[in-house]
Amino acid sequence: MIRTLHGRAMTRRQTLLGAVALGAAAPLGMPFIGNTAAAEPIKIGLLLAKTGDIAAQAEYLANGSYLALEERGNTIMGRPAELVWYDEPSPQGSQQNMQKLVQEAKVCAVLGGSLSSNALAEQATAAQLKIPFVCNNAAATAMNGANCNRYTFRLNTPVATQAAMFAPYLMGYGKKWYFLTAAYAFGQDIAKSFKEILSKAGGTIVGDDSVPLNTPDYSSFILKIRAAKPDMILGGVPAGDLSTFLKQWNEMGMKGKIPVCEIAIGDTDIWSVGTEAATGLYTSLWWYKNPANPPDEQKMAADYLKKYGKPAADKAWMGWLAAKSLFESIDAAKSTETDAIIKALESWKGGTAENPYSWRKGDHQLLLKNLVVEVKPKVTDKWDYFDVKGMVPKTAGELDAVFGDPVANGCKMT
Amino acid sequence: MLDVLLSQLAAGLVLGGLYVLIAIGLSIIFGLLGIVNFAHGNFFALGAYFALTLVQTFGWPAAILAPLLVGVVGMVVERLLIRQLYDKEPLVSLIITFALALMIEALLRLVYGGIGQPFDQPPLFTGIFLWGPVLISKYRVMVFVLTVALLIGLWAFMQFTPFGRILRAGSRDPEMVGLLGIRLPRVLTAVFGLGCALAGVAGVLAAPIWVVTPSMAEVATMPAFVVVTIGGLGSFAGAVIAGLMVGIVTALTSQFEPQAANAVMYVFMAVILLLRPRGLLGERWERFE
Repeated sequence: MIRTLHGRAMTRRQTLLGAVALGAAAPLGMPFIGNTAAAEPIKIGLLLAKTGDIAAQAEYLANGSYLALEERGNTIMGRPAELVWYDEPSPQGSQQNMQKLVQEAKVCAVLGGSLSSNALAEQATAAQLKIPFVCNNAAATAMNGANCNRYTFRLNTPVATQAAMFAPYLMGYGKKWYFLTAAYAFGQDIAKSFKEILSKAGGTIVGDDSVPLNTPDYSSFILKIRAAKPDMILGGVPAGDLSTFLKQWNEMGMKGKIPVCEIAIGDTDIWSVGTEAATGLYTSLWWYKNPANPPDEQKMAADYLKKYGKPAADKAWMGWLAAKSLFESIDAAKSTETDAIIKALESWKGGTAENPYSWRKGDHQLLLKNLVVEVKPKVTDKWDYFDVKGMVPKTAGELDAVFGDPVANGCKMT
Repeated sequence: MLDVLLSQLAAGLVLGGLYVLIAIGLSIIFGLLGIVNFAHGNFFALGAYFALTLVQTFGWPAAILAPLLVGVVGMVVERLLIRQLYDKEPLVSLIITFALALMIEALLRLVYGGIGQPFDQPPLFTGIFLWGPVLISKYRVMVFVLTVALLIGLWAFMQFTPFGRILRAGSRDPEMVGLLGIRLPRVLTAVFGLGCALAGVAGVLAAPIWVVTPSMAEVATMPAFVVVTIGGLGSFAGAVIAGLMVGIVTALTSQFEPQAANAVMYVFMAVILLLRPRGLLGERWERFE
């Protein structure tokens, strides 16, 4: 005697009959099971920081990536597709999570790399696991230089290239520079690139501080800068650290007295500062109010505003573009195999005739123009901080030369 | 050089003052409750966020309510969570409060988003003072004066009020205090709330000069632990002296060896512990031996 859930007793015969009935009905479900296997979702890994100062940028990168998938009806190659998001706690933790994404979640490619230090580690793991990795944020020069590999595609313009694009704008301020850079890959890269530029221009370094990440109080550094009387400050502090510095720069009465300049900042770094304290001249890849944005990017900006209730930051666009190019490449490859995806990414084209985007075969670097933006003298809208001062280089034909020869940059594709 | 050093000293004192405010609550909680509260920095962050909401809604005067709200949250947390940990091993409280820290950060991220929130100084305190060679912002002077006033008030409260005496007695021998007919659980709830409220005050004061993000606790938690360790666990005066010393050492290191500015406090702690293993003013407490 067997008892059912309702406490009613079933005889052995009834149990046996039930089992037979279930067995007989099983084939009816077969076609469904077969279809499910065919429609197995395509999984793409998302490796972006969920905690720490960089998490604010990572949130936009992730939002942009999800938006790119939604625009396609959450499908790739006509099959359902999904993003699997893991954290980037540290370089080592990021490597472990990339391994989990590939080996346990069975993703066919990975998007991510919010910090240079993490992305450099992830890049090595991508090569080891032979998985396409489209890095949507990190700007360390080595990624498409000495550390390049055929599995890694990098969207952000490398530090050395941004420095070369930005330099003509800086020389107008004078040649006595104060360096304030973070003591890790990104900051060191900025210091090295701009010191070479300044040296060639015959300029002088009047101060050079390599500051720890997550410095809560910049007042001591601001006092040193004030005493050194530079023509401008060349910054290389990332994300929340830049916001903290700018707030305290204003608090110490220095805003407007010495220009602050930096490359590769995020819109969120400036939005966090507030309208009173924000100041500076920066490079950026994208600005939601740039009138030169092509129609599909204007649509993305509108969709983003509608969905999240706030404007798309540059990082949202970077997440969106990296994801879009990967999804379109998988479509074009008609395969989730690594070699096919890499080949398709190498042939992918985006943007417009005036501002085209493409992954360069020699180092898998995205070639695109950069913006030079300046904080408005008087900010009246809590989102609209920048005036676009120019796009560099001026013509698309100069892009390849500006990004430098891959081999000369140290890239030996493996 | 002297002018820069004097300015650095002033900057270090203000930073140290903030560290003292964060650390003193941690020290009081540890002294009486014996709990190593890893979420203390998150109560500091809560103070900043509560102030942000209050200032945006009602204007600057309402910011005074932010630490009180943090204190209330602290008391609720003590009643629901911390109270279960008093008879457990210290490691358990460390793990549970670490989880609490992650939860508070996640909640802030959920409610306010991950991006830093703009928070300007009160208009009354914008601008700088130039006293001879010393440059300091008006806001920092206000922060320092307020910190000193608050510490004096807290000291007087602990020394001269019946509740303060219960706190001091309870931190040494809670059993005896209970035997005297004092309802210790209520006292413990109030103490945890007070410690959290002090962290909240520091959060309110730091918000206009630091960036208000869900992860802002990261830059508050470790200095607080370092200050409490250097000062001597549970010592009020020790935390004050240690906080000011850490601020000054950090500022001076920024001048001469900027890369080491954040790390120097740990070196300083190691040196102090080598010379005085219980910290500057640490004493032998039977219940923690």
